[in-house]
Amino acid sequence: MVRAEPKQTPQDSKQAIPIENSQKVDTRFSPRFKSVAAMAGWDEEALLVASLIVEDTPDRQSKHKKRSDLVFKTPPSTTSRRKRRAQRRSPVSTPIAPLNLDEEGTSKQESGKQSMEQRINVNEEKKSEVNEPTQQAPGVSCSNPAPQCMDKLRDELSCAICLEICFEPSTTPCGHSFCKKCLRSAADKCGKKCPKCRQLISNGRSCTVNTVLWNTIQLLFPQEVEARKAAGALNSRKVQRQSPESGSRSTRRTRSTTDASMRRRGVMSQDEDAALALRLQREDLSRLVSTRRRREMPSQDVDAALALRLQREEFMESFRGTHQQSRTPLSLARANLRAMASRAINLRIRDRPV
Amino acid sequence: MMIGGGRSSSSSTTATAAGGTWVSTTSVSTSGKRIQREMSELNVDPPPHCSAGPKGDNLYHWVATIIGPPGTPYQGGIFFLDITFPSDYPFKPPKVVFKTRIYHCNVDAAGNLSLDILKDSWSPALTVTKVLTAIKSIFTNPDPYNPHVSGIARLYLTDKAKHDEIAAEWTLRFAK
Repeated sequence: MVRAEPKQTPQDSKQAIPIENSQKVDTRFSPRFKSVAAMAGWDEEALLVASLIVEDTPDRQSKHKKRSDLVFKTPPSTTSRRKRRAQRRSPVSTPIAPLNLDEEGTSKQESGKQSMEQRINVNEEKKSEVNEPTQQAPGVSCSNPAPQCMDKLRDELSCAICLEICFEPSTTPCGHSFCKKCLRSAADKCGKKCPKCRQLISNGRSCTVNTVLWNTIQLLFPQEVEARKAAGALNSRKVQRQSPESGSRSTRRTRSTTDASMRRRGVMSQDEDAALALRLQREDLSRLVSTRRRREMPSQDVDAALALRLQREEFMESFRGTHQQSRTPLSLARANLRAMASRAINLRIRDRPV
Repeated sequence: MMIGGGRSSSSSTTATAAGGTWVSTTSVSTSGKRIQREMSELNVDPPPHCSAGPKGDNLYHWVATIIGPPGTPYQGGIFFLDITFPSDYPFKPPKVVFKTRIYHCNVDAAGNLSLDILKDSWSPALTVTKVLTAIKSIFTNPDPYNPHVSGIARLYLTDKAKHDEIAAEWTLRFAK
């Protein structure tokens, strides 16, 4: 009942638009590409728009996916601006874009550090790889090279401040690693300089644990780490909390599958769609906020992204509010129900034996 | 040479003995742990022409010896130094004082050193070994532009032969 109304609009506009679109598309795409695109189920206008528009803020992955499906189920229309907007989020641009935003906040801010760390980490990992066979070696044949290697590793992986195996190592921008605690007290008492090379270090960086290095150390020197864990009041829970990324990614994946199942239910009305999109968008937002809170690290990128999203949502809300207050599905349904009820009452009144 | 060797070995034995007693009492403090670790490293792999170890039971009070490097007027001399560690040691520099008199523009009559790494340029990544190596290097290369005794620095710059002569004389008198 409710769906009958919105379906009409796309059908009406069906005749008008594709002609001008096809002309445009002809100039841009080769026929072979077009046929392939048609086989893939891509709409022509979507292709064109995708080739023209560079996504400014890649977000709302779920929405894109849904839309991309919708695009070839309901033919294109230019009747409402909102629909156009939706179609711009074309299937072509979806795969790369949305993955970035949530990562960007952290990756950008840590990229400098990471790149430096990576060099060390690579070295460390190489060492650990080198070491693993030697660890197995004593059982097999010679026991001599293994302790030497372990001594070298111990030297390499020990903190220059406490001279012990790094506990929860933290890496400076210049690439030197120290215990997190040692580095922090060094920064407090001796100025914010790297103890090894005297380069300036910033505060925020000195507080993050180099996870790969720490894991390597834990693998290589379990006894030392355990001894220090027991001795110090430090809890290693902090380190495990450092890697929430994988978790959030998996939740995103599950959500996209639920999206897919929703899609399978059939074509939804435009308004329902919009409502769903809004809901998903809100979910996105809340996720963004929650991940930010979880990280507890104020980063400008994340802040900016959040602000942009909030702004956009506000805008969308107000836009929707002015244009379709009269024909929201809820109000329509309510009106229909009221009509049905009154009809029924009328019928009953008429049929009632007087 | 003989005295130096004997001294260093005796100090190292006292060091290990003291270390044994100290484990129980100061294993909690980071400075104590770090000093102990430095001590064992010095015992295993001492730098050339140097030795160091705790004076007695006190882990924070060390004695070090440096043998005058060959090719300098200090050649053959044995110079004793006192090292006192502050309680927040790796984060504050140890106090190093010459106990043996030396004719050097960077060491005053009281034995105080003008060495930047023992003052403003101290870094918690520095160790006693590195400090001793740095002191050894000012034997070979005095820094007359940052002197403690300006008279010696002036002589070193104007008449190096005379300076070396006096330094060798002092080494013979006080450090042998």
